[in-house]
Formats: sequence, C-alpha cells, structure tokens
Amino acid sequence: MSKIQTILAAFFVATILIISSCKKEDPVIPNEEEVITTLKYTLTPDSGGTPIVLSFQDLDGEGGNAPIITGGTLDTNATYTGSMELLNEQENPVDNLTAEINEENKDHQFFFQSTIPGLSVDYNDSDANGHPVGLETTLTTTDAGTGTLKITLRHQPDKFASGVPDGDITNAGGETDIEVIFDVNVQ
Amino acid sequence: MFNRFLTLSIFILIPVLAFSQNCSLTLSGHIKDANTGSSIEYAEMQVESTNKGVVTDSTGFFQISNLCKGEYHIIINYIGYETKKVFVKLVDNLTIDFTIEQSVNKLDEVVVTAKKATKTTQKVASLNHQSITDNADENLGNMLKSIAGVSALKTGNGISKPVVNGLYGNRLTILNNGITQSGQQWGNDHSPEIDPLVANNIRVIKGTSSLEYLGSNLGNVVLIEPKKIDKDPHLHGSTNYTFETNGLSNGLNVQLQKYNPNISWKINGTLKKSGDKKTPNYYLTNTGAEEVNLALQLEKAFSHKLFTDLYFSTFNTELGVLRGSHIGNLTDLEDAFQRDTPFFTKDEFSYTINAPKQKVNHHLLKIHTKYFLDETQQFNVTLAAQFDNRKEFDVRRGGRSDIPALSIQQFSYFAEAKYQEHFNHQIHLKTGVQLNIIDNTNNPQTGILPLIPDYLSYETGIYLIGTKKLNKSFFEIGTRYDNVNQNVVAISRSLPREIVRYDNIFHKLGTSLGWRYSITDDVLFSYNLGFATRNPAINELYSFGLHQGVSGIEEGNINLQTEKSLKTTLGLNANIKTKASVDVLAYYQKVNDYIYLDPQEEIRLTIRGAFPVFEYKQTNAEIFGLDFSGKYHINKSLKVKLNYSFIKGNDLRNNVPLINLPSNNIGTNVSYEFTKPIIIGKKQLDNLNIELFDQYVFEQKNILPEQDFVAPPKGYNFLILKIASNIQFRKTRLRFTFKINNILNVSYRDYLNRQRYFADDLGINAILGIGFIF
Repeated sequence: MSKIQTILAAFFVATILIISSCKKEDPVIPNEEEVITTLKYTLTPDSGGTPIVLSFQDLDGEGGNAPIITGGTLDTNATYTGSMELLNEQENPVDNLTAEINEENKDHQFFFQSTIPGLSVDYNDSDANGHPVGLETTLTTTDAGTGTLKITLRHQPDKFASGVPDGDITNAGGETDIEVIFDVNVQ
Repeated sequence: MFNRFLTLSIFILIPVLAFSQNCSLTLSGHIKDANTGSSIEYAEMQVESTNKGVVTDSTGFFQISNLCKGEYHIIINYIGYETKKVFVKLVDNLTIDFTIEQSVNKLDEVVVTAKKATKTTQKVASLNHQSITDNADENLGNMLKSIAGVSALKTGNGISKPVVNGLYGNRLTILNNGITQSGQQWGNDHSPEIDPLVANNIRVIKGTSSLEYLGSNLGNVVLIEPKKIDKDPHLHGSTNYTFETNGLSNGLNVQLQKYNPNISWKINGTLKKSGDKKTPNYYLTNTGAEEVNLALQLEKAFSHKLFTDLYFSTFNTELGVLRGSHIGNLTDLEDAFQRDTPFFTKDEFSYTINAPKQKVNHHLLKIHTKYFLDETQQFNVTLAAQFDNRKEFDVRRGGRSDIPALSIQQFSYFAEAKYQEHFNHQIHLKTGVQLNIIDNTNNPQTGILPLIPDYLSYETGIYLIGTKKLNKSFFEIGTRYDNVNQNVVAISRSLPREIVRYDNIFHKLGTSLGWRYSITDDVLFSYNLGFATRNPAINELYSFGLHQGVSGIEEGNINLQTEKSLKTTLGLNANIKTKASVDVLAYYQKVNDYIYLDPQEEIRLTIRGAFPVFEYKQTNAEIFGLDFSGKYHINKSLKVKLNYSFIKGNDLRNNVPLINLPSNNIGTNVSYEFTKPIIIGKKQLDNLNIELFDQYVFEQKNILPEQDFVAPPKGYNFLILKIASNIQFRKTRLRFTFKINNILNVSYRDYLNRQRYFADDLGINAILGIGFIF
C-alpha cells in the first residue's frame, strides 16, 4: 500500500515539474480581409465647390479605441452627388471594399435616414434586378436645420419587400454590416 | 395531420376488447450466490425488451408479474457480481432460483441502478438502456430532462446542454466512458459532443462532490456509460430506427457484439438526418441536422487478474442554426423581437443546411488496464486521447460563408493511475493521480480574430476517497487537489496586432463528506457536505469579440480568481409497501467569487452599429432548490408519477437574481400497462403501455427586466403521449414506440432556449420507433 502511494506521489510531483517548462507556440495572426474599418461618404456639390466628406473610421475594430466620426455642414436648397467608399485600412496597401459590395449588389443595399426636414437621399444606381444599391446617390437639402444622417448597409435584405426599393428600411430585414450616424448641419 | 394520429391511436386501442391469451404469468424465485448459496438482497433484475424490472427483497426473493407467454432474456445485476443473462421460456407461472457468481474483481465499479445498492452517499438518478432507445430521437441534453432537477440550456432544438441543479457548462462535468469530456464549451450555443445512443446507461449524480473525476468538482456529474460486453459467445445486437414528422427526421442505430475468450468486441453506429423543424405556425428555416457516429469497444482478459479494454468513438455532426437568429447589431436584435415570424422564414421544408451552421467532429480513444493484485487490491491505468474540431460558419460577405468564422482544434490527452483496496471492517479506499493536457489552437484561415485564444493547459490531480459501512450507516469521505497550469497566447486588440502571453497557475481543492442512513429497510436518508474550488476557464479569462451566442461583444477578465463553493444536500428515499415511492433532494450551494457574464451599461459603437457589451465578473452567489419525484402504483396496470423541481439563485453582492437558471416545473405521468396481450390478426402486442406525460413549466419570475433583452416567456404546458409495445415475429422480438410531442400543438417559448428571442419552440411532432434485439 505505502509503496504504491509513494509511486503515485512521485509520479504526481514529476509531472508537475515536467509540464511547467512547456510553452504554447505563437499563433498565426489571421488576415482580417473582411473587416471594414472606414466609411467615406463624399458629397460633391452640383453647383461646384469643395466636396464634403462624412467619414467613420475605426482602425482597431470592435475593441480598443473609439471610432473617429466626422460630420459635415451642407448648404440649404442644394443638390449633392454622393459617392460611397468602404475601406479596410488595416491592410497595407489599403484595401478598397467598395468593389466587393458592388459585385454582390443584389445582396446589399444602403439606407439613408435623416432627422433634418427636407434632407433626402435618392439612389443613382441599381443591381441586375433594377433595385437600388446606394453606392451612388443624390442628396438634396431644402431648409436649414441641425440633426443626423444615419447610413445603414444591410447584407441579404429582402430587396423586393414593400418600400425597400424606395429606400424604406422597415421591411428590409437582413443583417446589418454597417450602421453609422453622422452629425449634419444644413445652413 | 393531428386527426390522422388520433385515428391511428384509436385503431391501436380498439383491439383491447379482443384479447384472449393470458398475460398474467408470474416469474418468481430467489437469487443466490453461486458459491455460498446465500440469498442476495437488492439484486436488480431486468427483463430484456420490456420495461419490466424488479429488485430482490431482503430475503433475496423476486417476483415479476404480468408477463405474457413467450421467451425472455433476464439480466441479473448486482454490485460485485458478474452480470448474468439467463434465458427463460414461459408457458405457465414459474418459480425458479438463479445463482450469480462473485466477480474476482470484487472492487469493480458495477453500474447498478437500484438505489439501495449504490456505493455512494450522493443522489444518483439514471436512464437505463430502454429509456435511452425509446427516446432515440432526442439528443443528450433533451433526453436528460426527464430526470427531476435536470433541464437543458438550448439554442434551437439541436444545440442543447444539460443543466443539473442549476449548474452547466464549465461547472458541470460530463464523463464519456470514464473520461472527462474535453470539448469546446465556450458558450451556451455549444453542446456536448456525445451520442447518447452509444450509452447503455446514463447517470446523473446530484451531489456535493465528484472527487474521483477530473473537472469542475463543484458537485454534479453526468456519466455516459457503455455497458460491458455480455458474456455470450453468440453474435448479438440490436437495431433501432426512428422517424419524426417534425423535421422529417430519420435516425438509425445499430449495435453488434460478440464475446470471445480471446477478444470480445462491440460496435455501435448511429446515422441521423433531419430537416427544418416547424413551430405550430411556420418552419424554422435552416434548422436541419446530420449526424454520423461510431463507437468500437474491445475487451480482453489476459488472465483472471489482468484485463484490458479499448474504446474508440467518433462523433460527427453538422447543425443548422435558425437563419433568422443571426443578427448584425443591436438594431437587428430589437427588430427581431418585434416580429411574429423570424426574418428569412421560408414557406417550404428543406433538408439543406446553410450558414449559419456548426460542424463538429469529436474523436475519443481510450485504453484501460485493470490488474488485481489479490482479492482485495486493484490497480488501474487509463490512457486517453481526444480530438475536437469545431467549425462555425456565419453568413459572410464576398463568398466567405464557406470559410468558418470560428475554427478551433483541440487535442487533449489524459493519463490516470488508480489504486483501490478493500480492508476489513467494510472499509474501502480509492486513490489516484491524473494528468490532463489540453492543446487548443485556432485556425487562422477564418480571417477573424479568434474569440478564444490559443492555449496549452496542464492539469495534474491527486485524490483519496474512503468509504465505510457501519451498521445501518454508510460513510464517505474524500479529498482532492489539482494543479492547473495555463499557457495562453492571445492576439492584441490594438494595432499593430501583437502576440500577448499569459501564464497562470491555479490550485484547486475539493473535499467532501457524506452519510447515508437506513432508517428502515425502506427508508433511506442521506446527507452530504462538500467544498470545492474551480479555476476560471479560458473563455472567462480571455474571450474577446462578437459572440452570436450572447448577441453581443463578450469580454474576458484577466483578473478573475478561483471560485469557491460550499454545497450541502439532504436526501430522502422511501418505499411504501412496494406501491409507492418518494424521492426528495434538497440542496443549498454558496459560491464565493462566482463567475458570470455581466451585461454592461456601455453600448459599444462599431462600424456595424451599436452592440451590447458583456463582461465576465465575479460575485457571491447562492443556488438552492428541491427536486421531488413520487411514484404510486394504483394497481398492477396503472401507475402515476409526479416530478417537481424548484430552483432559485441569487447574486448576493448585487442583490439581484442569477440569470439562466431553469424555471420551476412540474411533470405528471400516468401510464397504463395492459396485463394481457392484445391480439391483432395473428400477431399479439405484448406489454402494451400507454403513457401520458404532462409538463408545466412556470414563467421564470426570478429575474429583473434589466437583466435580459426581453422579458422571460410565459409559462407553458407540454403534453406527450407515448405508446409502446413488443411484438414477437418468429424468433425476433420487435419493440414499437409511438410518441407524440406537443400534442396540442401549442405555441410556446422556453426561458432556457436562446432561440426564444427570435422564434417559437417546436410544434407537434409524431415519432415512430422500431427496434429489435437479436
């Protein structure tokens, strides 16, 4: 009995000593090519002048530092040509994901919701089914006002659902790939 | 659909009037020791292919009544004795004595379901082979729900993990054939990788400590145990086929075994395929599942002192996750709550499994050798290796849905040396050392930062357990120490990405004390007190990222300390004139530094919108409850069973209830067994048994509104009808089971099912099972 106990105890101590010297090898850091770090919504005034860029940038993804959000000031009673750009700035060189969305445009749609009266966004592009995508848009303003513009990108929405082709998100469903809110001032 | 089943049920019931043959034969006698001739009390007897079973009384006498004319195999089981299978041809009432032989391995742990023979002071509940095969349509978590105090924490119907007296996941040890199941239980959406059909017996120990086993030690254990190969030199086996109307599911299980003095073998395989399940009103799109499992068992006796067995099992599954339950952000989640029918619900049934889905492979290889030094001493060595490969697929952009979003490979290796000795004065000692190595690696192909880091963990444990029988008392005392060494390599969340290393050493202690006292032959009292610690798991320390299983961003906490738990249980088991029995278990558990996932006030803004943040925190908690089960035999045919379980848990530091605890529930079971066979044409239905089971699950009121996204669902009533019978076809005996779950086709949602955020639970489901033993 005592002999066996001694053997078991020795085995126990020996294993603890042996194992404390082992180390896990370094992991391979995954290449996060699907990540969108940056959204740039460039609004070029039809009347000419400097384009306004609304941008959302979150380089380190879900954790870490808070995103940098840049709003903008627009003119009253003006028309802008809107152009959407999506980037992965973790990659070097920077990866432009706009084309990836365009390739799958039947599975994607941007939605624009503003709290400013009179501010509206119309689609200027369409997928193979003739449904809007939202990479190219026209933004129009009327009266002055301060508020927000919310841009949402939905993956696999029901693009045939009622109101969705007109830019109403209510019945769209799908999963949200992007949802950002910008402070906008119309003056 | 329902009407059709009703007609079928009536069709089965009508022939009741047409019985003729006598089915009230009785088999009685004594069970004796083959060498000494002394009577054996409390030996368990089971009539194969029926649900009949008895336990001999204090004089070794048994009586099995209501048997039909025919041929039977009777299995006799008693601790410390060889399991014996005898063949009986019954023409008339028969009185016969059986002898059983003491196994050389006096100390062998024979699994005995009879409560009186258990070699422990802890409360044990079990599912036998019959109830496992009769419920072949269910997975492990769902199957165990029939035991009072056991629930299932689910994500849809396919992903289900058992909850025993409020403990689950990292706090519940699951043993697959004696080996601690090593899998990736990182969230409530991961279920244990075990095929319950491989087991011939599943036991749930609701106690204070499980010191013999590697694992959490916090009290409760689920043991999945394939039976030893029967000592029968002929090829024997069984086949079981199951069909379910809900999900058009097909399942097939085949078991074959043969005893041979050189090497005995047993093989067990399961195939399952099911499609989209259905609620009363709509299909649950993308909830199909496929499963292919195989187990091989080899046993060899080198001498009457040296035995070796080998066990290999492989479990492979592909599981669809409800398409509408996959969310992008908090807005999507809130949208989902508002809907009657989940997004992406299709009008037609499909077997197709698309993303989101899980693909899991789990393989286990175990070699165990037992050596008897003499009649009283035994030495065991066990070696085991497990490989777990978990891949989870999300709906992704750019054709990446075929690339897993989570892909983890886990190897684990286990070694154990165990020594047991039986001393005079009914003292029994058991001691052992164990080593377990876990090597967990993420596959970088996912293109996503892993939720759980890579790690290497070593656990070395040593334990000593002693038992003593003294007059009417039985005492159990034990202690255990574990040294846990975690070597973790994480990837930083800040840019540039860097490798961060963590080294942890934890000490775990466990000790327990138990006392069982036979007040009379029929009344048994038991008391247990245990103290145990549990080290924080890797996910609790280091997980980071979006976790669909919690609908938010989950953050580990590197400052977590070891949990310390004190638990006490009080049990009472009484049999009243073999007509009634009552089983009660009350428990109270206090856990200091209880680790839980705490919803933070912070809503994290990402480019995908806002997400709730959950962080692992510690508090002091208490969990207490009561399990009650009672049986009453009104007459030979009519039986009534009642199960009730009550549980409550509190966070004592913040003065709020604990989340994810099962709702209280009450189950009533009425069964009627025909004493005479029912004749249909030339065939007869033997042991026709009709059972109605009603379960009422109360609304979970013990939770505050701010602790969850939506209020817990209302209480609901769930009704099951089960009809089972045996039919003799020439030399084979077929067993038919016909079951209807949720007969009333009620729409309900269950608090412990995460899918309740998005969809109703399953509607009516008719299940047909055909099995035969040869």
